[in-house]
Amino acid sequence: MLFDFPKMSFDTSNNSSNKEERKYYHDRNKPDDLQISRTDMNMLIMNYLVTEGFKEAALKFQQEAGLQEPALCSSLDERIMIREAVQSGRIPDAIAMVNALHPELLDTDRYLYFHLQQLQLLELIRAGRAEEALAFASATLAEAGANDNNALTELERSLALLAFPDPHASPFADLLLPSHSQKIASELNAAILKMENQEYTNPKLCSLLRMILWSQSELDKHNIKYPKMTDLANATIEQPK
Amino acid sequence: MQQLTVFMDIESSRSYIDELYSPDATKVVEALVTLKNSVIGSNRQKSSVIQQGVVPRLLQLMSDEALDPNIRLEATITIGSLAKGTPENVATLVEQGTATALVELLRTVPIGTKLVEAGLCALRSVFLHPPAPIAALPADMRLLTRLTQIAREGTATARCCVVRILSVWCGGHMEQEALCQAGACAAIAAMLANGRNSAPPLARALPALELLANMCFENGNVSQVALNTRHGDKTIPELLMCLVSRDKPLPVALGAARCLTFIHRAGALTADDNRVVFGALPCLARLCTKEMPEEIRAKAAETLSYLAEVDTSLQRLAAISNHLMSSLADIVNCPSAAAKQGAFKCFASLGANDEDIRKRIIETHGLMKHIVSEMKNPEPSIRLAAVRCLHSLSRSVQQLRTTFQDHAVWKPLMQLLNDSPGTELLTVGSSTLCNLLLEFSPAKEPMLDQGAVEMLCNLTKRPEAALRLNGIWALMNMAFQAEQKVKQRILCCLGTEQMFRLLGDSDTRVIMKTLGLLRNLLSTRQHIDAIMSEYSSQVMQAVIVVLEGSYPAEVKEQALCILGNIGDGERARDFIMANEDVLRKLVDYLAHPESKLQEAALFVASNLVRCSEAGAAARQARLADLGVLRALKLLGARQDAAHLHDNDFFSE
Repeated sequence: MLFDFPKMSFDTSNNSSNKEERKYYHDRNKPDDLQISRTDMNMLIMNYLVTEGFKEAALKFQQEAGLQEPALCSSLDERIMIREAVQSGRIPDAIAMVNALHPELLDTDRYLYFHLQQLQLLELIRAGRAEEALAFASATLAEAGANDNNALTELERSLALLAFPDPHASPFADLLLPSHSQKIASELNAAILKMENQEYTNPKLCSLLRMILWSQSELDKHNIKYPKMTDLANATIEQPK
Repeated sequence: MQQLTVFMDIESSRSYIDELYSPDATKVVEALVTLKNSVIGSNRQKSSVIQQGVVPRLLQLMSDEALDPNIRLEATITIGSLAKGTPENVATLVEQGTATALVELLRTVPIGTKLVEAGLCALRSVFLHPPAPIAALPADMRLLTRLTQIAREGTATARCCVVRILSVWCGGHMEQEALCQAGACAAIAAMLANGRNSAPPLARALPALELLANMCFENGNVSQVALNTRHGDKTIPELLMCLVSRDKPLPVALGAARCLTFIHRAGALTADDNRVVFGALPCLARLCTKEMPEEIRAKAAETLSYLAEVDTSLQRLAAISNHLMSSLADIVNCPSAAAKQGAFKCFASLGANDEDIRKRIIETHGLMKHIVSEMKNPEPSIRLAAVRCLHSLSRSVQQLRTTFQDHAVWKPLMQLLNDSPGTELLTVGSSTLCNLLLEFSPAKEPMLDQGAVEMLCNLTKRPEAALRLNGIWALMNMAFQAEQKVKQRILCCLGTEQMFRLLGDSDTRVIMKTLGLLRNLLSTRQHIDAIMSEYSSQVMQAVIVVLEGSYPAEVKEQALCILGNIGDGERARDFIMANEDVLRKLVDYLAHPESKLQEAALFVASNLVRCSEAGAAARQARLADLGVLRALKLLGARQDAAHLHDNDFFSE
């Protein structure tokens, strides 16, 4: 589905092309009828903060933006604590909290449980407790590895870190970065939201960005020239050549 | 609080298991939480803990009403986790009385509490492992009413769990009626109603649809109740119509279409009802298309085959869709057994009654090849489905001569029939064979070589009436306009003894077809003379047995026709003339009140006295002696005998 941009004829100095080209162009300097309300944007931001568990920021934003009471799902506090525990490496605490909140979650999603156990393993490796790490892997992680090929591959990668004198310099060092535990924390967060039958387990902002990427790839498939957003984080738009 | 170590080994777990028996409530709770955290996520831990005999204590802690509700809750949650383990874990749990204890819990604990929710989750997990402990849930009205109340008023999780449990439990007519009485339909309607975004959430709709389908299956009463049950301003059918639309998730649309199908087949909706024609049917056809996932397509094809199984108008409507045939052919190609079966069954249903549809099915690219190859599939259910499909298509007389011959379908069919098949396959297969042996089929000769006659004769000895019928019917078809050697083979193989036995069969249709076989054998002059020269006494005896016995008129008519055929044989007719008993019977039948018997007797007489034949005069004289002429004159005088004047013996 193509966005219907207002068609504007573009006065080019190059008069060689006689055929009138259709240009899908949005000239930012001209007024248009594409209205995006401030309220819509505030709601999107609010949704992001609540879904991702930024409670204080959400409450402050609500005050400053003058929004009505946000739909804070009942588990917001717990989800915040769980995320914190995961990202700071206190996995048994995190697991205990998840089990108290949704006892069926980790039994139903064994792959997620494996990821949490894997984080524990990585904590031991990071702390240099190699023997304990191996014992832990064989006692608990081996079970998941036996049942799931993906888990087995990831387990092997994790254990491979032990083979390197400096794991942080190994090819699998990405596992030791904070971004990895953040990823697992988000996975867990989404799983909890799903369990609570929330319609959107990802922030709506996420869906919007995906929509942009999808639209752009569809346009690319048809070789259409359009102003392309090449950098999502900065919303940089490049004009077509 | 006990420190959570990185992992627990078996030795250290003993310590907290012992704490379960402590008199101190706080310690018990702690021990339960530790136990719970150790078993969630790990089947190994679950098995270990069960082996250590912890289950009876957990059940105790769960059931004791005097205990701290926290203890009961944690114990129940732990049981629930154990029930998510291996099938062996669940079997042990059931053996040790878990299901019964959970049901007891549900009777007494107030609705809306976390304990009820935990108990339902646990029971649902137990029920999802076959064989489900159905006996643990007795069909008593108080209990069922409580459960349906939970389905209406409980938390979202509780409602979904209850409905799941009941849908597994609902295995037969008795359970369907009991649930209906307990108000399950109203609960289902509530769960199918719109939530946010104008659709019920998937997790709620699917179990409700499953339960509704199980309740309505082949039950007209429950289907009728479902038809009239409302939630707010919408009846269940209206709710289902919302759910079959394109914007709904595929499993929900399929589930809703399935419910409408079952309600129709149970008799509560007619075949021309909007909800069938514009609801279930197009939805199922759409779900068969190539873009859909295999599982959905398989189930949709199966459901569509059930929907269109008997009604020709539905078959025609489904066949109108120009994509359906190729979609189904594609489903046959899918690897899974369910998909192949579903597609074959669907073709069989669609082609059941209408020749045009059959033609289109047969012309569907590559289908006949698939049918032939799947008849050799190692999986018996697929072979059966393929034969059912073939059976349906074999009703197409036009195609017998061409397509079926081209694909030599009889080869794998004969192989299947000779390969000690089950009763179902034998019944469908022999019916198909019957059709293939019809007059237009050029496949007769090769089939004989494959031992068809022997196989069919054996069928006539089976205890199942349907098989005897198929056997004798097939032999009858085989004998029609066949060569003499074929007829001889049939007679020889069947034997006159067996034929007499069949003439005394409890099923009238078998008797009719046996006489039909005799009639077909005794056609064309040379054959009649040849057969009568060898079997005259047995044949005459058979005819007399039927004419004398207390058979219905249509059976006796057949016997007279046989006599008529014999009367056409040059030498064979002498056997009749020599038998005074038969001649006297002939006179009687000429005056019989039943007009078709009169006509048949007339046919006999006309063959005997035909002027153009040698020895006619002598025969006429003999018959005159016995009073045949007198009877004929009387017959001629009847007002409804106008058509009989065509016969040449009236014109002397």
